[in-house]
Amino acid sequence: MRLFSLFLLSTLLLAVEIFAYPNYSDAIKEKKIYPLGKNIYEKRCSSIKPSNYNTFSALEDAIKNDAHCKKLQTKYQEALALYLWEKVRITKKDKKYPEIVVTHKDKCPVCGMFLYKYPRWVSMIEYSNGKKLYFDGLKDLFKYYFEDPKDIKGLFTRDYYTQETIALKDAYFVLGSDVYGPMGNELIAFKDKKSAQNFFFDHRGKKIVNFKEITKSMVYKLDE
Amino acid sequence: MSNINFYLLEYAKNYILRHKNKNIFIVIVFTLLVALLCTLFFVSTTVEYEMESRLENQPDIVVQNYKAGRLSTIKSGMVDKLLEIDGVSWATQRVYGKYRFSKEGASLNLVGVDPFEEQENPFIAKLLEKNQLNENDIFVSQHVKELMHKAYYDDYFNFIKPDGKLLRLNIAKSFDVGDRKYLEDLVLVNKDKLREIFGYKADEGSDIALGVANKNELAFIRTKIALMLPNAKVTSKDDLKVAYKNLFNYDSGVFLSVFIVAIFTFFIIIYDKANGLSSEEKREIGILKAVGWRVEDVLHAKFYEAFIISFFSFFVGFLLAFIYVFVLKAPYIGDIFMHDQLFDIKNFNLNVHLEFSYILLIFLLSVPVYIAATLIPSWRVATLDADEVMR
Repeated sequence: MRLFSLFLLSTLLLAVEIFAYPNYSDAIKEKKIYPLGKNIYEKRCSSIKPSNYNTFSALEDAIKNDAHCKKLQTKYQEALALYLWEKVRITKKDKKYPEIVVTHKDKCPVCGMFLYKYPRWVSMIEYSNGKKLYFDGLKDLFKYYFEDPKDIKGLFTRDYYTQETIALKDAYFVLGSDVYGPMGNELIAFKDKKSAQNFFFDHRGKKIVNFKEITKSMVYKLDE
Repeated sequence: MSNINFYLLEYAKNYILRHKNKNIFIVIVFTLLVALLCTLFFVSTTVEYEMESRLENQPDIVVQNYKAGRLSTIKSGMVDKLLEIDGVSWATQRVYGKYRFSKEGASLNLVGVDPFEEQENPFIAKLLEKNQLNENDIFVSQHVKELMHKAYYDDYFNFIKPDGKLLRLNIAKSFDVGDRKYLEDLVLVNKDKLREIFGYKADEGSDIALGVANKNELAFIRTKIALMLPNAKVTSKDDLKVAYKNLFNYDSGVFLSVFIVAIFTFFIIIYDKANGLSSEEKREIGILKAVGWRVEDVLHAKFYEAFIISFFSFFVGFLLAFIYVFVLKAPYIGDIFMHDQLFDIKNFNLNVHLEFSYILLIFLLSVPVYIAATLIPSWRVATLDADEVMR
């Protein structure tokens, strides 16, 4: 009997916890709530230390009782709580790579085109000896890569949707879509599978692959 | 510098002064022509430049809601829907509009500001970086402050809500808009307070502004939203650019026709001049030859003469156009660009913006052509024997 009541109580608690926790999609959190929460945190409520609280509701209560944040509207308090709970408290950060910058002199070593005209398509191979090569699209990058795949420190390009720099080894690629780069048919890169799939349906892609699945013949076939 | 023959230069100067009437006439026509062409190009390039820089500050996509074919308010829930679209990097519901300040017969431009959201307008963003706008405060431009002062509002202002009640807000700060004339009537209000003033519900706004990270995707996202929200009017930056460009190209067409007529007139004058010299001028060259000048000396002197006249006229014409356009703000000719809200010259301020290529074009079309038109007939006469010319 005691065990049963304990079980009942714990389920109830869990249920309350689940319903108390605000439910938003990742896109809304990334694009709206976190930036809003960050602004509130920096402008008004920097006194709160999220590491001091063990549950989300405790953090929420603390925000509601804080002298500076008390007067804030509920939507701001919620945004602040979510930002602190999911972004500041968790130290695991998404790896950010610096933006790929090209000068007016840089040319693609495969096709010889100037790169500064196509900043959205610039991709980069970084060798372990510090040498960096820039390409005007992933197709040319892979052509080079398959000729000389040794001593490579990193391969980088831009995510099609967000335009942030991503590493090719974690990226997903869509082939055969109706989006063309400066060299025609391209591999379009995405940081996660979900956006790759959305792009696949929106732009009539033919195939989604990850880095390991890309072969030389696949890349050369894009030129046909 | 050492190549300039100052004796010949002096001769050229005296020649110009000797034929005063003829040369003054040429200088006047030449100056007016250059001034007209410069004016056209100054106005068109400046307006185009200003138009582009204004477009630069526009959000990538604006979504407006229509009800029964009329512009209506848009719900804030729509923002979340739009954020779910891949490629949209930010979206905010904007609250803004006109408020009639009937006492002064003015129309204020109220813009709602959320204390914690990112501002998409760079001017407002910069303003709010330094100053915090509290809930019961408003920031007004200098111009609006003066208007309010005329109605004895110095510390606060009473907005009349649609239900007739008053809403009192404190005038916390006034700012200078500099040369951004179109921001002259700007008043910044807290978003929620502005909803009260306009009689909006708590979740209503004027429109939604979106940012798109990859501009290649702009057109696709625009169509996607249009399909998703059948009642909405979706305007992308590219659409705006096309609309502006169309109007602008029409105006440029008018300009171009004027330009062609002007150039043609100039060439007729040049043709007339190149066709022959008067007997008096011929005799003068003949005398010079008889005195012992070589052909190249005569041409040298003629070159100086033509260069002085054409360069002087070009410079004065350029200066006149500069003053007319940028100091006097192009009265009459600028009116070609008047299109109510789009290109209002009075609203445009015509900041100095010169494009070197156009100035070079006008220079090359006038100065070397005129010099050639002076040299060629002189050379024809100068190559003849002196006695033949004077006979």
